Amino acid sequence: MIKHHPSDETLFRYAAGSLEPGPRIVVAVHVGGCEVCASRIGEFEAVGGSQLHDIEPDELEAGALDRAMAMIEADEAGRRTLAARPGLPRAEVGIRLPEVLDECGIGPWRWIGPGVRWSRVTLPGDDNANVMLLKVRAGRRLPEHTHAGHEYTHVLQGSFSDARGRYGPGDLDEADDDVQHQPIVDKDGECICIAALEGQMKLRGFFGRLIQPLIG
Amino acid sequence: MNASGHHFIADKAFLAFDAAKTGLAVTMRRDDEGLSALEASRLLAAVAADRDRAAFAVLFGFYAPRVKAFLKRSGMTASAAEDVAQETMLIVWKKASYFDPARAGVSTWIFTIARNARVDRLRRDGRPAAIAEAFDPSDQPEPPVLGEEAMIAAEREERVRAALGLLPREQADILKMSFFGEETQSQIASAFGIPLGTVKSRVRLALGRLRQILDDLK
Repeated sequence: MIKHHPSDETLFRYAAGSLEPGPRIVVAVHVGGCEVCASRIGEFEAVGGSQLHDIEPDELEAGALDRAMAMIEADEAGRRTLAARPGLPRAEVGIRLPEVLDECGIGPWRWIGPGVRWSRVTLPGDDNANVMLLKVRAGRRLPEHTHAGHEYTHVLQGSFSDARGRYGPGDLDEADDDVQHQPIVDKDGECICIAALEGQMKLRGFFGRLIQPLIG
Repeated sequence: MNASGHHFIADKAFLAFDAAKTGLAVTMRRDDEGLSALEASRLLAAVAADRDRAAFAVLFGFYAPRVKAFLKRSGMTASAAEDVAQETMLIVWKKASYFDPARAGVSTWIFTIARNARVDRLRRDGRPAAIAEAFDPSDQPEPPVLGEEAMIAAEREERVRAALGLLPREQADILKMSFFGEETQSQIASAFGIPLGTVKSRVRLALGRLRQILDDLK
């Protein structure tokens, strides 16, 4: 049962295409398993669809349709198949990752503190996104921290709790700089999350502080 | 197929395509303001099932000039917008069989393709933007279904349209403008005479109201 969803604002930015790549992939993971948010995004995308439908059309360049028809003929003839992206390396991380991540690179687990490991997630064609998998030991208490900018954390396995509630598989925690919390991973098992930080700012959040020396 | 409306649509499309082939501007298709959701959906199904060029030409005539306009509104130059509109329509051709009329109307589906193509382009140009088409979770292949399901999706789109109409004007405008990208936030600020920092909270308010109205309309 999913209890924690992205905010409407985040879903709207997802629909409008203005959410940054890192947060976008984390939200995509959530939406892939959440009918409520998928339907909400569908509604917001329909706002975009009606914008597109109602906009005053622009003039195309002369011969635009001919070019398009030539392109689809070339496509049909197989002469214009898009070059397959070279696959990114994927380390085995011990859990089945959501399909949405199929084209992402997955780094090996690395130790960053007692009971905490991380793995870097790379997005095809984008080296700047701060996305990572985090694996935290059962019962591990994370230091109290605040966030610089938004951090998006989606639980893949296990759970953690803080003053705001309990976050289990399928839940997405959207924490901004108003949130000061001290999450504790629940005792019944390790917790694996995918997390992203918004912006290229100096990372000061908990995860950010841990990761900063590693990603420079 | 001849017994259905398909034959008629194909004829109409051939006319459109011929008109364009004979040198008349594509914008001749402007008379087609009323391409209905159901008709667009049928055309797309014909592209998916029969690789129907004529059906594609009609869709192109209606949507390509709108996608270009949309992209220009988002801050692209005319030539980049033309390029990305072409890319968008090529993806429409390639992915026609992925269109699921139960999930979205054609306009919304094409909007998402244009959105992703735009994001891709901005990223290739080295500007921060959202992520490519590859990660769209709504991008699962679905067998095209027509009829009642298409009507359900069309109704959902009508509901959204109605909800926008019920929003206070300023809130509706803020949401609509937000669809043209974050660069327009400062334009939004000046258009409404509010500080840049206030735009975000206005968007949040407008979304809250939109959610209420959508829930009431369900």
